[in-house]
Amino acid sequence: MVRKRGLVVFSLLFMLGLFLAYTYNAISKAKETIFERIEKHEIDHISLVLQNLQKDICANNPITDQEGLVSFFEQKQNREKYEHILSMALSSDVKYSYILYKDDENKFRFLLDASKTDKANFNQKFDINLKEYNLIYTLKEPQIIKQKNIENIYVTYLYPIISSSGVVVGFFNIDFTTDIKMIILDSIKPLEAFFNILTIFIFIFIGVALVQIFHYFITRKKIFTDTLTNTFNRNYLEEIEHVLNLEKYSVAILDLDKFKFINDTYGHKAGDYILSHVSAIFKDSIRDSDILVRYGGEEFLLLINNRDDSKSNLNICERIRSNIAQENFSFDGHDIKVTLSMGVHKHPSLEKNLQEAIKIADKMLYEAKRSGRNKIVIYDEKLSSYSSASSSAKYLSFVKEALDENRIICHYQPIYNHKTGEIFKYEALVRIIDKDGKTVMPMSFMPYIKLTNMHYKLTQRILSLVLDKFKENQLLVSININFSDLMNPDIEQSIVRALKSNHHLASRVTFEILESDEIDNIELFKQKIHLLHSLKAKVSIDDFGSGYSNFKSVIDVEANFLKIDGSLIKNIDVNSKDFKVVKSIIHFAAQSNMQTIAEFVHSREVYEKLLLLDIDYMQGYYISKPEAHLVLKNELFKTVF
Amino acid sequence: MKIFLLSLLLALTLFSNENKETIQVEILEKIFQNISLDDKIVIWSDNKNIIQEFEKRAHFSTTEECQKASIIVLEDKKNLKEGSCDKAIFVLNYELLKEIPRSFGSMFWKKGRPNIVIIEPRIKEQNISISKKLDIYKEEKIW
Repeated sequence: MVRKRGLVVFSLLFMLGLFLAYTYNAISKAKETIFERIEKHEIDHISLVLQNLQKDICANNPITDQEGLVSFFEQKQNREKYEHILSMALSSDVKYSYILYKDDENKFRFLLDASKTDKANFNQKFDINLKEYNLIYTLKEPQIIKQKNIENIYVTYLYPIISSSGVVVGFFNIDFTTDIKMIILDSIKPLEAFFNILTIFIFIFIGVALVQIFHYFITRKKIFTDTLTNTFNRNYLEEIEHVLNLEKYSVAILDLDKFKFINDTYGHKAGDYILSHVSAIFKDSIRDSDILVRYGGEEFLLLINNRDDSKSNLNICERIRSNIAQENFSFDGHDIKVTLSMGVHKHPSLEKNLQEAIKIADKMLYEAKRSGRNKIVIYDEKLSSYSSASSSAKYLSFVKEALDENRIICHYQPIYNHKTGEIFKYEALVRIIDKDGKTVMPMSFMPYIKLTNMHYKLTQRILSLVLDKFKENQLLVSININFSDLMNPDIEQSIVRALKSNHHLASRVTFEILESDEIDNIELFKQKIHLLHSLKAKVSIDDFGSGYSNFKSVIDVEANFLKIDGSLIKNIDVNSKDFKVVKSIIHFAAQSNMQTIAEFVHSREVYEKLLLLDIDYMQGYYISKPEAHLVLKNELFKTVF
Repeated sequence: MKIFLLSLLLALTLFSNENKETIQVEILEKIFQNISLDDKIVIWSDNKNIIQEFEKRAHFSTTEECQKASIIVLEDKKNLKEGSCDKAIFVLNYELLKEIPRSFGSMFWKKGRPNIVIIEPRIKEQNISISKKLDIYKEEKIW
């Protein structure tokens, strides 16, 4: 918008400048034309007079050569006669009128002088050295001299006196005054001054506009460029998003595999080094018509121009992947291998907008990560069930920005041991602080980012936040995790790295895994739970009773806790069926060597009803709300409804 | 000769926008550089502005006393103290050449153009020698 306005102002000023230059030029030409016409008129007039006078001198007197002419004008009466005639015939614009001749020494001398002022004597030498004074002798034609350096004279007209033998014996010299010229110049001077001042101002404005436009482009470059990678940033994407013709592009999301590992192992400088070098390889692998955007930490968005066939687009993706895989990055004496996973949507124009297409490409990226990394997964709109991608793209972006801007936090809700009256542990619950500073609950965004790369990035962040907070104290904590997250190699690695080296912390961590999650590979799931147990961490089946897993699978998992779903707890004081189901679950858990936790304890009635069931732990707003700080024992049961 | 004339005209052109007296002194200076007297050239003039211009340019010595001068640049005949000056006289008006028999040359404006006249019999009479560059301005008599 700013650019358009700047360009419009500049164009207007430029047009105005051109118009003024044209007008100024036209005025100058008009001025010259006026002068030329005046000059022509004067000369035409004087020319006739001089022609007649010349004829009169030569025809009526025996003048055959220069000596004859000199002798003729030597006579005072002849001089006076022709001076009189010449002075009478001349107009008021003539300042000087006289007759000259060139003597044997090539000196010019006066024969007569009809001027009213500054009169010269007969035969007085006259120092003139312009070529026209000699040309008149050879060309035998009148000459016009435009004077520049003589005060009050702007044109001199020379008219030859040709003897009967055809020789130039002398010439009339008429000096025109500059009076008319000065009058004209004086009258148009204000107009000229106005145009000059206006032109100066216009050029100053053009200069200022140019500086501003230059400044805009410099600033624009800074605004739209990521300084580390020298690629476009998200601002640029927002700028072009509305004008981008999606039919001309394919969308690819590129993400470096195990980048967090590189940062954690070699440090952030190494991470920055990798990012800058990787982006250089990206740029070398793409064409000028492709657009590369740093979309987030180690994530890039590539808009591949479809000027060739789609196969060529895939070639570009494969070229990028293999170029990165082949490169051996060396930082601070360490050889670092980097691989890249990529999700591609070949036909983003089929989606509602770019964000929708990005979301699908992101899901493809997630698939690429899940299936072993260093892969390209391409979206097939005919086969995929992702075609119903909703407007949740904005949530994806919302979470991404929160991650980039460190606005992810955790609140902690106590899990209460009613038998001892102590806080048994805390459940970490994710929150996002939005740009207005308001706290956004997970239900507002979590369902929309499920099965996206963003989800596992968020999980990684939560793990990092919670483990950091609890590693230095003696308290117990529960962290919610999806089955799909647990299958993610990066998350698994993060957990292993954090807990393997700190058994004390591991023994205080419980991973709450949603029972309602789609666990399509129970054997793999068991392996992952076994891994957590091997690290000394505990496992809790979350939301038990809301899903469809059979009891055998739950027993096989060997979870430490069963957290009974809130939908069974919240009405337990009034719904006898719920009461019976919960009672059965508690019995089953006790038989299976698992402790039970009731969530959604929101009232005194529910709390007291649960006391009758020998449940191990309880959590809910009646006991304490989740808080940003770790609630203490004396703060429990203080919630006012 | 032509080169000298051209340089003179060039000087005129260059200084055409300057004060008329400055141009006049410029021309006088070129003339005086090409003449030689028995004594060193020391200039006196009845036009104080011309003296100031000469002083400014510092090519020739000037004096405020006519008796100490070797050359007089005269604008008005009445400023010439009778009997006290038998110096070389250079006038700034063609007619003064007629009126002052000792004047040997003149620089004056005619029809807006600068003109120089040097009277040959008078320079011979006064033992003033001039370089060939000034030959073009030599006249046998005053017209």
